[in-house]
Amino acid sequence: MFARLLALAASGVVIFLLLPLVVITGASFTTTEYVTFPPQGFTLRWYEALLARADFLAALRTSVILGVLAAASAAAIGIPAAIGLRHAGLPGRALLRGIAMAPLTLPTIVTAVALLQFYYAIDLDAPLGGLLIGHTLIVVPYCIRTVGAAFERLDPALSEAAESLGAGPWRIHLRVTLPAVLPSILAALAFMFVTSFDQVTLSVFLAGPDVVPLPVRLYTYIEFAIDPMLAAASASLVVLAMLVVVLCQRLLRLDRGLFAGAE
Amino acid sequence: MRHLPLAPLLVFYGCFLLAPGLALAVLSLRPFSPTLVVGEGWTGANYLTALADPFYLGLLAGTIFLGVAVTLVTLLLGYPLALATVRAGPRLKSFLLVVALSPLLINLVVRSYAWIVLLGDHGLINAWLRAMSLPAVPLDANMAAVGIGLAHVTLPLMVLSLVAVMERIDPRLLEAAASLGAGEWRILARVHVHLAMPGIATGSLLVFCTAISAFITPRLLGGNRISTISTVIYEKFTFSLNWPLGAALAMVLLGLTLVVTALHDRLFRAR
Repeated sequence: MFARLLALAASGVVIFLLLPLVVITGASFTTTEYVTFPPQGFTLRWYEALLARADFLAALRTSVILGVLAAASAAAIGIPAAIGLRHAGLPGRALLRGIAMAPLTLPTIVTAVALLQFYYAIDLDAPLGGLLIGHTLIVVPYCIRTVGAAFERLDPALSEAAESLGAGPWRIHLRVTLPAVLPSILAALAFMFVTSFDQVTLSVFLAGPDVVPLPVRLYTYIEFAIDPMLAAASASLVVLAMLVVVLCQRLLRLDRGLFAGAE
Repeated sequence: MRHLPLAPLLVFYGCFLLAPGLALAVLSLRPFSPTLVVGEGWTGANYLTALADPFYLGLLAGTIFLGVAVTLVTLLLGYPLALATVRAGPRLKSFLLVVALSPLLINLVVRSYAWIVLLGDHGLINAWLRAMSLPAVPLDANMAAVGIGLAHVTLPLMVLSLVAVMERIDPRLLEAAASLGAGEWRILARVHVHLAMPGIATGSLLVFCTAISAFITPRLLGGNRISTISTVIYEKFTFSLNWPLGAALAMVLLGLTLVVTALHDRLFRAR
């Protein structure tokens, strides 16, 4: 009785979780002019319509550029920070760790308006640069957490061995510890790219008229029309995100790297 | 010297987290000027408006109510799923975990779009109900629609927090309760829920903080009819251009988040 009720309740929740995903993917193939599920007939014309939209493709390009740059900048700042936070004897280590994770604790909309009015005050008129700073800020904690967790798992004997063979600190990092945590670094890069690619709140506030990331383009499109082309765009994004996750899981065991530090 | 590797991070945070944060705090203490956006001098009027004006007080109460409601719903939905996940065999377990995480794969705008399609007056749920000759339910651009959308967004946070704690519950404690004659329901209510409490607390904190500061979901699912603190902050910064009041509201939202987080830490980290 208990087990059966539990299975029933869990199945209901599974349906709730999957419903939007299934409906959107299904509706993108409908032959009707409006969104419906189950889809009527089967057509790929909404996907064709999507590929013909120059503004959507430009937005996709902006998002990819932004994601790559944000992941790279966050890695450039975050990896040294993770190395620094490794040392147990570092004065103020707990406080510094808290500071490093600060962007995760702040509500995104607060970060967004803080940056918006700050750019206005310092007269920064570079939408891509402004977006890049914001996105880097939001993803850098994931890099520190993932790479930091990889350092914790690392056998200290490795660097001790290198040291006893006469390697200096730089050499130890470049030739021994960094290659050992490389899978986690790649996983962090992929995760940061996806997080930046998905970010909407920050981008809605910071985007300029000519620099529009894809989620913002979708956001403004929804306010004016709801048609199956948007379902096609949504389904494409879902497939893209799934591909990235599966790829990471296969190649890098993403789950281990990310959740190890989440405790 | 040992702090050197942290220097780039600290400089970056100093320039683009601390400085903007301080500038926001200063902005919230400036008077509003219709011509200049931001006036000269200092004032506490924005906080007085944000915390004492009936409209903004109602807004704050409504947002907190929404946060509590979403937290309760995700707890109610998340607990059975988390319990089924930890009790499942390895194959079913990884399937359930992937399902629980699946909303994170869908962009927020896309998710809101899916719920608009499902919940609207001419949406799919009402079309299905009509097809079965059942009465329509009002889910178009109202608080219920926003709540459903937010519950979907935040459920993964709740399930992950619950599963992480439930996995570590010693099965011998549950067996001991059973051997003393307690039925499954009694074990759940008297033993399991108590042991899962740290997960319930962490999940609730994450869900509540996400729900009260969410912007995209209330904005898109609420049409223009539902206001939360976040949507009003957006309006103050984009349409009415009352930046000082918007900044004060943002500081209030930040304060609320920090207070709830501190409360959680005090209650559950100390043990």
